[in-house]
Amino acid sequence: MTFRFIHASDLHIGRKFANIPQPPDGNIRGRLMEARHGAITKLAQAARDRGAAHVLLAGDTFDTATPSPAVVRQALTAMGEAPEVTWWILPGNHDNLRDAEPLWDVISRDAPTNLRALTDAAAIEMAEGITLLPCPVAYRAGASDPSAPLDQMQSPEGHLRIGLAHGGVTDFTESGDAIAPDRDRRAGLDYLALGDWHGRMAVSERVHYCGTPEQDRFKHGQRGVCLAVDIAGPGAAPKVEEIETGSFLWSEAELALHPRQDAAAALNALLPTTGRRDHLLRVTARGWAGLPDRADLARAAETCAPDFAHFDLVTDALATQYEAGDLDEIDRGGALRLAAEALVSEAESETLSQAERDVAADALARLHAYVQGAKT
Amino acid sequence: MKIRAITLNNVRRFTDPAQVVGIGDGINVLSEPNEHGKSTLFDAIQALFFKPFGSRDKDVAALRPHAGGAPEVTVEVETDEGRFSIFKRWFQKPLATVHRSGTLIAQADEAEAWIAQLLGGDAGGPSGLIWVRQGMTALTGGSGKEEKLALEARRDLMTSVGAEVEAMTGGRRMDKALAQCRDELAHYATATGRPRTGGPWKEARDQVEELSAEHDHLASTARELHDALAERQRARRALAELEAPDVVEERRQKLEMTRAAHAAATRHAEEVETLARAMDLARLNAESATTRLDSYRAAEAEQKAALAEETRARQATDAARSALAERRTALEAAEVSAQEARTALQTAEDQRRRAQRAVAAREGADRRRALEARIKEAEEARRRMETAAAAARSGPDTAALQRLEALSAELSASRAARDATATQVIVHYASGSSGVIHGDDGPLADGTALPLPRSTTLRIDGIGSLEIHPAASGQEDGSVEAATAKLQTALDQIGAANLTEARAATAARAEAAARQGEAKAVLASLAPNGIDALHQELAAIPTPTTETDAPDIETAENALQAAQTHHEACRIIRETAAEALADAKADAARSDALLTSLTDRLQRAEAQQAKLGDVAEEDLATQTVTTAAALEAARLAHAEKAKDAPDAASLQAALTRAESVETQARDEIARLRPLLARLSERITRASGDAVEERLAETQEQLQAAEDKLARITHEVAVLTRLEAALQDARNEARERYFTPIVKELKPLLQLLWPDAELTWGEESLLPHALIRGGREEPIDVLSGGTQEQVALLVRLAFARMLARAGRIVPVILDDALVFTDDDRIERMFDALHRQAGDMQIIVLTCRQRAFRALGGQALRLQMVKE
Repeated sequence: MTFRFIHASDLHIGRKFANIPQPPDGNIRGRLMEARHGAITKLAQAARDRGAAHVLLAGDTFDTATPSPAVVRQALTAMGEAPEVTWWILPGNHDNLRDAEPLWDVISRDAPTNLRALTDAAAIEMAEGITLLPCPVAYRAGASDPSAPLDQMQSPEGHLRIGLAHGGVTDFTESGDAIAPDRDRRAGLDYLALGDWHGRMAVSERVHYCGTPEQDRFKHGQRGVCLAVDIAGPGAAPKVEEIETGSFLWSEAELALHPRQDAAAALNALLPTTGRRDHLLRVTARGWAGLPDRADLARAAETCAPDFAHFDLVTDALATQYEAGDLDEIDRGGALRLAAEALVSEAESETLSQAERDVAADALARLHAYVQGAKT
Repeated sequence: MKIRAITLNNVRRFTDPAQVVGIGDGINVLSEPNEHGKSTLFDAIQALFFKPFGSRDKDVAALRPHAGGAPEVTVEVETDEGRFSIFKRWFQKPLATVHRSGTLIAQADEAEAWIAQLLGGDAGGPSGLIWVRQGMTALTGGSGKEEKLALEARRDLMTSVGAEVEAMTGGRRMDKALAQCRDELAHYATATGRPRTGGPWKEARDQVEELSAEHDHLASTARELHDALAERQRARRALAELEAPDVVEERRQKLEMTRAAHAAATRHAEEVETLARAMDLARLNAESATTRLDSYRAAEAEQKAALAEETRARQATDAARSALAERRTALEAAEVSAQEARTALQTAEDQRRRAQRAVAAREGADRRRALEARIKEAEEARRRMETAAAAARSGPDTAALQRLEALSAELSASRAARDATATQVIVHYASGSSGVIHGDDGPLADGTALPLPRSTTLRIDGIGSLEIHPAASGQEDGSVEAATAKLQTALDQIGAANLTEARAATAARAEAAARQGEAKAVLASLAPNGIDALHQELAAIPTPTTETDAPDIETAENALQAAQTHHEACRIIRETAAEALADAKADAARSDALLTSLTDRLQRAEAQQAKLGDVAEEDLATQTVTTAAALEAARLAHAEKAKDAPDAASLQAALTRAESVETQARDEIARLRPLLARLSERITRASGDAVEERLAETQEQLQAAEDKLARITHEVAVLTRLEAALQDARNEARERYFTPIVKELKPLLQLLWPDAELTWGEESLLPHALIRGGREEPIDVLSGGTQEQVALLVRLAFARMLARAGRIVPVILDDALVFTDDDRIERMFDALHRQAGDMQIIVLTCRQRAFRALGGQALRLQMVKE
């Protein structure tokens, strides 16, 4: 008997993306929000496609502890509209038990029948011979391994033991709330479904982060997925399949430049040719560019930006190389040249702070632009 | 180029050729009154160098004489290539030629080109720059065209030594960049660098502020929500614990039990209390019986004691009174004897006084006699002294006698002298006829020479008289008579007939004085304090009394002694008696007082006894025993009861605790129920508002707004920096541009104003302000004198710059110092000489006297001799 289920997490429904600049004529924030809601349908579809009757959501289904009623109701409704699937929802740190108590009250009151809120850290038989061991998150920031209760949770003999927890395996904050990577062995689990990390990651054979089904950050460079997990029986190694569910691709690219290179061409070469509308791209330029190259690069970025869902050119790490020719373009002598040279020396000064140097460099670039503009 | 000679022909008043020759290096001065053609000379030079020979414009036309004709100007110049003669004629047969040593080397347009080359081509000519027409004392002025030309000249010159002003300062491109920069900056910031209202900077700031406020608000709402959730959880748990049925039942049972126990204890305590009160009553009875018995006994004892004391005191009082009477009698007797003794004493004293007086009277009579004799002697001495004193005052004193002696000696001398020369008659009497010859003074002595100083008649007894007339020998000078008269006068004064008498009188005076001294000494020894003192002494001696029955002094003394002794004894007896009386009085008073108080005490004791009434001591004693037994019984009963008492205090505490537990539980439940309702309401409201969702959104918006603000702040910093850089660079370039002229001008300015500086206008290329002592004064507000001085110094500096550029051109100044005072003009001359060095300066002036001090080569405008 093979048990199959869908493992997903971090839907963050209700996220507003107010940090993504909204072009006046665009609707990117709305589209991103909608995509998050759409993940429910995608997951239901994936379950249907794989013949899985259960979807395990390992925390952070909602982005905040008090999502607006519409967000909650619509999400619940969407889940209810997939009656062949049972949704097992675990509180994560964003929708933790304490802060999101009203949310869980609403869920337990209004949820469709195929939805099970896992607000108690108690073993539950999710199907015949299958015991689900949930570890709901009680507080936004805990101080202990949230998966620790798994060791004490009992299950009937011969049952599959599936753990469900939310938290990181690396203790970034040193608060002691990291999940032990070998929790599956300690607690005798057949599979430990983890949430919290938005990127997909296999910690071990039986311990997996599925990542968010719809990405919301540039870090991971691939569309969101969910996992279809097959377990042949107690003790059997799980079979894990990634199913792409994400609508938007968030990615980062690095543009390494050197002087006397056609920066605009280099940027254009880096850009994808298709799928730009659903692509959020951040290009980080590094290396050196001359003054005119910088201007060209900025123009090129301006030109291509509207193609993308979001386009961001980061030039903080791009240093400007000043050449005699650049300064000559400003003036060969006289006061303008004096001003330009003063700014160059300030931009390249080793005694000034980075901020002051940046100001001087940008002032020089501006002067260059003024003079060039005056010529044309 | 240096000008060596100038010749004019047909130029204004010079219809005949006139010339200035011998123009040297350094300073040349043509000092002429007005109307002598200095300006004509200047204009002619101008025209020669700058007016093409074909020109017929008004400047050239102005050179023609009234009569008309073709103005001709010849200027000889010396350059590095040699000496040249430049000639120009205008209007009729216009011509321009250049000769070198008589050889024509260029003419017409070629000559013009040669002249232009000589002036430095297009690199700026001297006109307007260093050739200054009469009246052009300031740097600006003249026609618009002239000004423009002068500006061109300055620009050319500056450019030739530096760079184009435009190139230096960036010109229009700089202006445009600066304008654009300021324009963009003005979009964000005010002139003072604050965010401009309505600008993006301000807007971004406001937005950050707004979002921060909203974020804070939402965060606090969220925190409240979290707190409410936590509190609700706590409240729910607390309520559940309070309302659990087993807990409620336990509370109830405990309360009932403690109540029952407490009631029993209360009853028992009341019984104990009753017994305690009975015991107290018994104790009171016993104590009262004892007290009464004690009182009775005490009163009786007191009455007895008081009575005894009173009796004793009464006897003592009687004794004291009789003692007092006795003493009084004794005192009276003592006083009588004392009085008698006093009278006796007085009598004795009187007797003694009389005896003393008698003794004194006897002693006084002897002294009186002695004193009276002494007074008599003294008065005698005084009389003698007075007599002698009167005598001592008459007769000539020693000094007068000496004077008489001297006069007498003088007379003798005079007489001797006369007699020595006078005819002398010596008679030798025959015996017996002695004395028959008589002279004026009696008979002549025998053998004695009789001088005859004058005619003398000698009478000879019996014979007649013999007249002798001595020769008038002149000896008779009257001195003898004078001396005789003087002596006589002196003798008369003292009342003496002759000298002998005078001598006797003097001796008598001296003797009288001696006598007076003796008498005075006697008087002094008798009466050293005067006779009056003796009289007083005499008066002090008592006159003897007539008392005859005066007692003997010794007897009187003895009687007095006895009286005194007796009197003293009586006095002591009286005082002792008085003291004894006083003591007796005090004793009597004391006894009286004691008796009175004892009488009181006895009365009190009797009263006390009366109060106790008619009781018997036995009855009282019996009562005491009875009440004591009753008390003991009550005490035993109370102790028995109290021994079994339960602990009322702890039972009370237990009850109180049980009740308060119940009350607390009830209160807590009453508090928790509405609290829960409130919290739930609050939670529902906050979660319905999606506070966290909005918080997350606001946080992201805030982040975005902060990023935007940072970008704008950076942009403002960039623009501010750029503006500063451009402004600084332009200022620096301007300074650099003017450096050459400033350098040349500096030493000249210092001649007039130490530490003075000029600032330069970029457009006009002229100084626009003079900075002295840190104060900036625009050129056009300076005085006329200062303006022309600055102008002249600037021109000299320009000339120096030209010279440095290899184009030595004469400086021609036509009355360039008009307003300058004598002091400054000296310094201006210094400046001129300082600049003259390797240059040529031609000064035209009508101020002959003032410019005499300038020195230099004197020039003359003179007719050319044909």
